[in-house]
Amino acid sequence: MAVGFDIDAQKCTECERCMMACSLMKLGYIQLGHSRIIIRRQWPEPPGINICRFDDCEGQPCIEVCPVEAIANRDGLVLIDRDTCTGCEACVDACPHQAIRMDDENLALKCDFCGGEPACVKECVSEALCKRGV
Amino acid sequence: MAGSMYNKILRIDCRKKSASDWTVPDDVKDYIGGMGYGTKILVDEVSPQVDPLSPENKLILTVGPLTGTSAPMFAQSCIVTKSPLTGTILNCYTGGFLGPEIKFAGLDGIILEDRSEEWILIYIEDGRVSFHSAQPVLGKSTGETEEFMKDKFGKHVRTLSIGRAGENAVAMASIFSETRTFGRGGSGAVLGSKHIKGIAFRGSQGVDVADRKGFAELTAGNMQIIKKACAEEYNLVGMFSRVGTGAGVGMINGKGALATQNHIYGVFDRGSEIDGYAYARKFYTRAISCYGCPVHCGMLHKFRKKDNTESWLRGPEYETMFSLGSDLLNGDPVTLAEANQICEEYGMDTLTTGVTTAWALEMAERGIIKEPGLHLKFGDRNSILGLLRKIGEREGIGDLLANGPKKAAEITGMDTLSCSMQIKNSGFAAWMPRRMKGLALAFATSNRGACHKRAPIGAEITGQVDMDTIEGKPAMVKEIQDKVNAIFTLIGCRFHEFVTHTDYYTGFLEAATGKKLSVEEFIRVGERIWNLEKLFNLGAGFSRRDDNLPGRCFEPIKGEKSEGAVMTHEQFKTMLDEYYSLRGWNHGGVPETRKLKELGISRYESLLK
Repeated sequence: MAVGFDIDAQKCTECERCMMACSLMKLGYIQLGHSRIIIRRQWPEPPGINICRFDDCEGQPCIEVCPVEAIANRDGLVLIDRDTCTGCEACVDACPHQAIRMDDENLALKCDFCGGEPACVKECVSEALCKRGV
Repeated sequence: MAGSMYNKILRIDCRKKSASDWTVPDDVKDYIGGMGYGTKILVDEVSPQVDPLSPENKLILTVGPLTGTSAPMFAQSCIVTKSPLTGTILNCYTGGFLGPEIKFAGLDGIILEDRSEEWILIYIEDGRVSFHSAQPVLGKSTGETEEFMKDKFGKHVRTLSIGRAGENAVAMASIFSETRTFGRGGSGAVLGSKHIKGIAFRGSQGVDVADRKGFAELTAGNMQIIKKACAEEYNLVGMFSRVGTGAGVGMINGKGALATQNHIYGVFDRGSEIDGYAYARKFYTRAISCYGCPVHCGMLHKFRKKDNTESWLRGPEYETMFSLGSDLLNGDPVTLAEANQICEEYGMDTLTTGVTTAWALEMAERGIIKEPGLHLKFGDRNSILGLLRKIGEREGIGDLLANGPKKAAEITGMDTLSCSMQIKNSGFAAWMPRRMKGLALAFATSNRGACHKRAPIGAEITGQVDMDTIEGKPAMVKEIQDKVNAIFTLIGCRFHEFVTHTDYYTGFLEAATGKKLSVEEFIRVGERIWNLEKLFNLGAGFSRRDDNLPGRCFEPIKGEKSEGAVMTHEQFKTMLDEYYSLRGWNHGGVPETRKLKELGISRYESLLK
């Protein structure tokens, strides 16, 4: 079972509907700072798309580096246990995709694949972001 | 936060370098937001007779109830001020990401008052304001100013800035925001008159709506409609989504309605070399959206300049393909891209700047004006690029042209005004009034001068109605002016209305804010704004005389496919009389007392005194 995204930055139009969808899914309202996917503008080149790559992430260093074993791979879904996280930021530095950041409560936050049906993918009209399947 | 508005506007005193929160009062809330807020506040607080570049003028930047929400195609923000180009009230818009960031900063808008002694940059973070010296970026381009602000305040800020044209009080100076622009009417000169070089916004707050479930359903429904339109081969919005707004050039050219060589002709024989398809074919192309927009009509192109350096540009847009292309007989896509870049660097409206340049080239070919070092020939690269720079610098002949097309002709005299293609000193958009009679009336009666945003263009160009007839056009023009004004309270992209039923606007408004309006009531707000603008303009000294077309519009279009289209003075008078009557205005274009009472704005009748 492979968990991941097919990402084609060349197709991304930088509309940020994925960020909106993420925020709406997790908070119920729009606050883009809480989105777990970030579209990073680098005109004229295609944007950077910062989101957890799950099975496509080589070595998954966030799991290794976490000193309290708060991050685990559960059937492909790399998840952070917020009750265990101490906010040390080691995973933030280790993530090769800049896909983890600290939230308002100073705990590590990342994409959880919405449990299997990522809201961001449904909102992407240009098919820059597709689901690989669970 | 109840609903999607913060009910808070920042008043910024540029002289004192201070800011205060202003709670939006109920009588302003009746105007919904966006253009409605801006118009109401300007008319309440600024005399129609003020010099637009004096400290007494104000610049009001607003967002609306749908800004920052998931509703598609509501990315724009609105500026209302008194225009230094036209002398009328002005509303103008930019897309991109500025509007949502203003909302995320917890604001419905800002009001800039008075004038700073020294040049400044303003940074607004979550409603807190700080003032900074603009000395390091004085004389710099809009892009360089933007970059400086991102370095100084953080890479995630969203910005607006002016270039040298705004610093030099060029009448058609515009304000740029990350390649999008508050284009029309010279708002860049107003910002410059306040000695503000740029403003950066950063917001971390959310946007919620009154009815989350209802709003999500409307968004999903509207997204389906827009996605379907984008997938259709001959849908205009679909064409825009594939190659940008420049997709329209071929259709207009085919109907003999693409203004060419200062509006003498209606067909440009090299139109297909500079349209959206040509850019997509010849250059690296990548579609870029405004916030939340599935249409993504803003095309980024990489190209090699004539000096062989690599460059890129987001554009040119359709209107610029006319103003810096066909109207100047410029069929070279690289020269057009570079001309667009010069306008972007200096911060100038490509429309009025191009129209003024076209007039200058014709006058030069007639031997009326000249400029050392420039041939001033239509289609000549050096003439075009040289004139644009001179306008931005107010240097040589550019100092005359920087006043706008009407004023430049009035100063020049010698019967040059009849071929200055403007209304109220604002340059024409790409459309030909002689070819499209409804458009002619819309241009002439626009409260901001030669405005194509509130014209029945779609119906006329696609053949839904006969573009040559005057029958029924006054009613059509009134209807679309009122409707678009209403939509601009929500600041919807103009293309949104091409595919979306009006029910969606009232539906979104209610789901976002709880404010329930029928479609009729919603459009009535647009009519109220239209009349308020009109009263301001009458108070500023405008009259029926100014609701007119330049002389060239009463002569036949030359060349093939345009069928010698012409407007007669009788036709125009008939349309204008009928239009005033439908509006409830007297023969002179002054709103009748009973109309103002009906709209609930009787107290503004005092503006007429």
